[in-house]
Amino acid sequence: MPPAEGADVPPTPNSNPNIPPITKSAITAMRHPPPESKESLRLRRYVILSFWAVAIFIGLPIWWKTTAIYRAELPLQIMTDWADGKICRPVFPLRISVEAPTLQLQDAHNLIRATQHALDDLNEFSAHHLRLMLADAPLSAANASQQVVISGGPGDRSDDEDIALSIRLIPIETGTAPRSILQPYAPTLDVYYSPNQIPPPSSTGSPLATFIAHELHKIFAEEQTLLAHLLSTTSNVYTAKMKSLSSETVTELERQSTRTLKYAPTYHLTFSLFSPTFMPSSWEIEAALQQYLSPLLETFSSISNFTVDTQVQLYATFSPSIRQPEYDENLKAWTLRKEDLSGFINAAEWPLSPSIGVSPTVNFILYVPDQSQSPLLVKESGANSWLVPQWGGVLILNPAVTGQSPMTLTKDALTPAMHTFSEQLLSLLGLPQSPASLPLRLSTLKRVRAASLLFSASSTLGALARLTKALKSIPIPDNVAKSVDTAIAHLQQSCSDLRDGRFQGALENARIAETAAEKAFFEKSMVGQVYFPDEHKVAVYLPLLGPVAVPLIMAGMKELKSLRGR
Amino acid sequence: MLSFLALLLFNAFIASASASSDYSEHLLLRPLPQKALLASFNFRSNESSTAFEQQNFRYFPRSLGQILQHAGTKELHLRFSLGRWDAENWGQRPWNGAREGGTGVELWAWVEAQNEEEAFARWLTLTNALSGLFCASLNFIDATKTIRPVMSFPPEGDHQNPSQLHLLHGTLPHEVVCTENLTPFLKLLPCKGKAGISSLLDGHKLFDASWQTMAVDVRPVCEEDGECTLETEQTVDMVLDIDRSKRPRDNPIPRPLPIEEIECDTSKGYSAQDTCYPIHKTSEPAFSLSGIYGRSLKGACPLTDESSENSYTVCINTPPERIIHVNTTGQYAESTSENHAMRCYKLPVGADFDLVLPEQQMTTRLVLAQPPLYAARHINGHGQEHGSVQAVITNPSSTDAVEFVYLESLPWFMKPYIHTLQARVNSSPENPIRETYYRPAVDRQRGTHLELRMVIPAASTLTLTYDFEKAILRYTEYPPDANRGFDAAPAIIRLISPESLDKKGIYLRTTSLLLPLPTPDFSMPYNVIILTSTVIALGFGNIFNLLVRRFVGADEVQGMGPGGLKGIIRGKVERLKARFLTKKKTA
Repeated sequence: MPPAEGADVPPTPNSNPNIPPITKSAITAMRHPPPESKESLRLRRYVILSFWAVAIFIGLPIWWKTTAIYRAELPLQIMTDWADGKICRPVFPLRISVEAPTLQLQDAHNLIRATQHALDDLNEFSAHHLRLMLADAPLSAANASQQVVISGGPGDRSDDEDIALSIRLIPIETGTAPRSILQPYAPTLDVYYSPNQIPPPSSTGSPLATFIAHELHKIFAEEQTLLAHLLSTTSNVYTAKMKSLSSETVTELERQSTRTLKYAPTYHLTFSLFSPTFMPSSWEIEAALQQYLSPLLETFSSISNFTVDTQVQLYATFSPSIRQPEYDENLKAWTLRKEDLSGFINAAEWPLSPSIGVSPTVNFILYVPDQSQSPLLVKESGANSWLVPQWGGVLILNPAVTGQSPMTLTKDALTPAMHTFSEQLLSLLGLPQSPASLPLRLSTLKRVRAASLLFSASSTLGALARLTKALKSIPIPDNVAKSVDTAIAHLQQSCSDLRDGRFQGALENARIAETAAEKAFFEKSMVGQVYFPDEHKVAVYLPLLGPVAVPLIMAGMKELKSLRGR
Repeated sequence: MLSFLALLLFNAFIASASASSDYSEHLLLRPLPQKALLASFNFRSNESSTAFEQQNFRYFPRSLGQILQHAGTKELHLRFSLGRWDAENWGQRPWNGAREGGTGVELWAWVEAQNEEEAFARWLTLTNALSGLFCASLNFIDATKTIRPVMSFPPEGDHQNPSQLHLLHGTLPHEVVCTENLTPFLKLLPCKGKAGISSLLDGHKLFDASWQTMAVDVRPVCEEDGECTLETEQTVDMVLDIDRSKRPRDNPIPRPLPIEEIECDTSKGYSAQDTCYPIHKTSEPAFSLSGIYGRSLKGACPLTDESSENSYTVCINTPPERIIHVNTTGQYAESTSENHAMRCYKLPVGADFDLVLPEQQMTTRLVLAQPPLYAARHINGHGQEHGSVQAVITNPSSTDAVEFVYLESLPWFMKPYIHTLQARVNSSPENPIRETYYRPAVDRQRGTHLELRMVIPAASTLTLTYDFEKAILRYTEYPPDANRGFDAAPAIIRLISPESLDKKGIYLRTTSLLLPLPTPDFSMPYNVIILTSTVIALGFGNIFNLLVRRFVGADEVQGMGPGGLKGIIRGKVERLKARFLTKKKTA
C-alpha cells in the first residue's frame, strides 16, 4: 500500500507510539485474579522441584550409566614409566668361568683379580660387564654341562647356561705365550701361557692378566656396540652414559637393524624356485635342505623355531615396471640394473603370499633365468644374489654350462644357493658377525633380542597408555587390562632375569611380555566404536529431549524469577 | 549314441591316463545345437602325500596346500558357477554333473576332526582362508549356510580313517562369479595360463558364456600297495554362444549389419528395397579357437607327459564330415577315435596352435546323450507371508526306473512345513519317497536340511511340493539390496541307480530360487524415534502444564485485553502497521 507522494495521512491514535491505546482500554477493563494462596504456590514449587529432581537424580544417572563406555583401570603411570625406562635399566652381567686346573688356588685367585681389574679399566659401558669366576673343579669342557660354579658371592649358585664363556688356562713350555684360541663351536677360549707369566701374589698387574682382559674385551666388543646402540636408540635415559659410537658404526648398525626381521618365536621359511620358462621344473630341495639347512636351524632352536616349505613356480615373468635385462659386452652376461632389484620380485604375479599362521614368513627365491638370458647378473657389482631387508633373499642361479638347462636341479647344483641362503638367513636373523665362535654369537643374539623385546614391549605399553589418555571415547575391555598386567609382570621378571644373568629366562619372559603388550594394543573391540558421530547423537536425542526440556526449563526459570522478585 | 559313447570313453581315457604322470591337461570341444559350443577344460596334477606333508610343493599349489593342512581338510570340492545348463537342447552334462556346482559358489569338504565342534571350527578356518585365496565371499558361509549331508556326497578319495572325517557343505547362491575368481584359479596351475590350453581362458569370454562352471577338487588317491598321492583336479566347463563370442573385444555391442551383408530370404515378397527377411541358417557356424576366445593357444604346457596318449591334449567331437583346419607353425600330431567322431591333437611346444572350422552344411548330426533326469524347481504362491516350492523331476528313460537323493539346503528365513511335503508320480499312485532325512532350521543358527531318497518309474514325472512361511528379518539382517530378494540354493540330485562308473557319481542341480521377503522402510528407526518422541513430549507437556499452571478467567489475565488472544494479535498488527506507515512518511 504505497501512500501517494505528499499525501497527508490523517493522524490516528495508533500513530502515537508513546501511548498505546490498548493499555488505556485494558486499564479500564482490568479485573484481578484472586490472589494465590501460599499453599498452592508451594505446591507448584514442589511439583517443579520434583520434576527436576527426577530428571537430575534418576534420568541423568540412568542416561549416564547406559551410554557410558566401559574403561577398565589401566596402570597408566607404570606403563608410562616402563616406556620411559624409569623402572628397568637393563644390565648384562656376563659370567666368565676360568678353568685353571694346573694353577694353585691362590695363584688362580690372584690372576682372576688382576684380570678383573684390567677388564674393569677397559670397559666403558657400565651396563655390560664381565665378571670372572673360578671354576670349582678342574673338569674338561666336554662334561662342563654338569658343572656347578661358585662365584664370589656366598650362596650365589647358577646353572651352567649362564656362563657366557669359559676360559681354559693351559700351560705350555714352548711357543709364543700368551696366546689364545677361540673354539669355533663351543663357548671356550683356550689361553696358552708359560708358567712364569703367573703374577706373583703381591703384584696388581701382570702381562697375562692384561692379555686375557684385552682378549675378552675384543670378543665382546661387537656385543657391547650392539647393546649400546640399542640402549641409546630406544631410550633416552642412557644416552648420556653411553660411550660414544662413531657415526660409521651407527650407520652400519642402523643398516643391520633395518634388515633384521622382527623377532618371533617361530619363522616360516619358504624356498621357491622360479623360472621364466618351464625348465627346470623340479629340484632336489629336500636333500639339500636336509644337508645344508637343518643343522643351522637346530642351533637356533633355543632362540626361534622354524618351519620350512618349498614350491616350484614356472612361467614367472618380471613385472613390467622394471627394465628388462640388457646384454653387457664386458661382463659377457645379461645384467639387471641395481635400482631394478627392488622390483625384481613380481609381487602381483608370483605366489609368495605369507604362510598361514601368526609367524612371519622368510622367503628365499632361487631364480633360474631363461636360456636366452643366461648368465644374468647385477650390472654394478656382478653379483648374483641379494638380500631383501626383513623379507628374504634372492639368488639367480645361472646354469653352470651354457647349453641345455636341466629339467631337474640336483643337490650339487643347489649347494652354492644353499650356502648363500644360509648366510642370508643368519643376516636376516640379526646374528652378529663376530666373534668367530658360533655359540658365542648365538648367546649375543639372545641378549640383544631379549633387550630389544624388552624395549619394544615397554614402548608398546607406553603407546597404549598415551592412546588411552588421548582418546577418551574408546572402550577398554577387561582383557586389555589383564594383558597389560601380564606384560608388566613378565617385563619385571625379564628385567630381573637380565640383572641376574639368566638370559634364556629373560628372553622367554620378554617374549611373553611382548605378545601380551601387542595383544592389548591391538585389541579389536577397542577400535570398533572410536567414531560415533555427534550428528547421530543429536538425531536420536533431540526429538525427545527438546520438547520435554523446554517446558521444564521455562517453568523452572519462571519460578526462579518469581522467587527473586519477592 | 555315438557321442555318448565317445564321452564315456573320453572320461575313462583321462582317468586311466592321468594316474601314470604327474600333470596332464585336456580340452574337449563339442559343437552343440543352436550355435553353442561346449568347451571342457581339465587340469590334473598329482603330488605324493609324503611331499605334501613335508610341504615340498611341486605341482600342488603351495597356497592351497597350506590352507588344506592348516584346516585339516582331506578332501575338498569347490565350485563357481554361472548360468543354466539347457538339458533339453544340450543333453547330458559334462562329467555327468560331478564337476559342476549350483549357481554361485558351492563348497564341500571332508574335514578331519575329533568331534563336530572341532570340525566346524576347522571348516570356518577353511572357508576364511579360501575366501582370501579365491577372492570370493566364502567367509560368509557360516552356521546358517552349512549343512552336513548324509546321503548326497560319498567321499571321492581313499581315506585312511573315515571315522574321523566330517563332511560339511556350504553354498552361497547369491555370489556373482567373475574375473577375480578366475585369476587365482589360473595361478594354481603349473603353467599359469602362459602355456597349454589354459592360455585360452580369458575372464571376458568365460563369464560371458551361457553356462560356465569352475571346479577345484582335491582328493587323496591310494594305490593297492598303500602308496598315496594327492590329486588336484581343476576343471572349467562352459557353453559359449558362438556368435556372441566371436564379437571382437573392441566392438562388443551387437549392431545390425548393413543390408547388403544380410542374406535375405528371396522366396518372400518384398514391398520395398530396404526390407529383408533374414534366412534362418541351418548350417553349422564357422569358428576358430582364437576367434571365440579372443586369444591364441600358446602351444602345449611342456609338463605333460610327452610320450603317452595323454599328450593329445585338445580333442574336438564333431561328425567326421566336418572340415577342420589346423593352423600352426609348430609340429603337431592328430589322432582320431570313435569312428572319426573324436579328433585329438598333440600340441606343438612354444608355437601357437589354432583350429579353424569353416561354415558348413551338415548332413549328419551328433546324437547327444540323453540326461538321466530332467529337473526344474520354482516358487509358487503370492503375498509376503506364505509360498510353496514345486520341483518337477522327469525320467525320460522308457525302460529304467531311477533312484536318486534329493538334497535341499534352505536358508533359515524360509521355513518349510514338512507336513505339506508331497511327492506324486504321474504314472503310479505309490509314494515315491523311500527315505527322509530332515533337520529343521533354528532361527539365526542353522538352515533347513532336507534329504529325500526317491524313485521315479520309467517315463514318468515326479512332482514334489511343500509350503513354506517367510520369516520377518531384523532390521540389520537385510542386505543392502533387500528389495532384490533372497537367493535359495539350488537343489542337488544325486543318482543312486543307475550307478556311476567311477567314484565321482552322477549329479544334477536345479537353478537357484529368488525369494522375495517383506522388506521394511529402512528409514524406519528414525521415524520411530521421532514419532514416539513427539507423542511422549505431547503427553509430558500437557501433564506438566496441568500441574504447574494456574488457571484464571480470561479477563483476569494481566496484559490480556478484553479481546483475549484475538485482541493481542490485532493490537500487535496495528502497532506494526503504524510503525511501517510512519517510516514511509519520514522517507
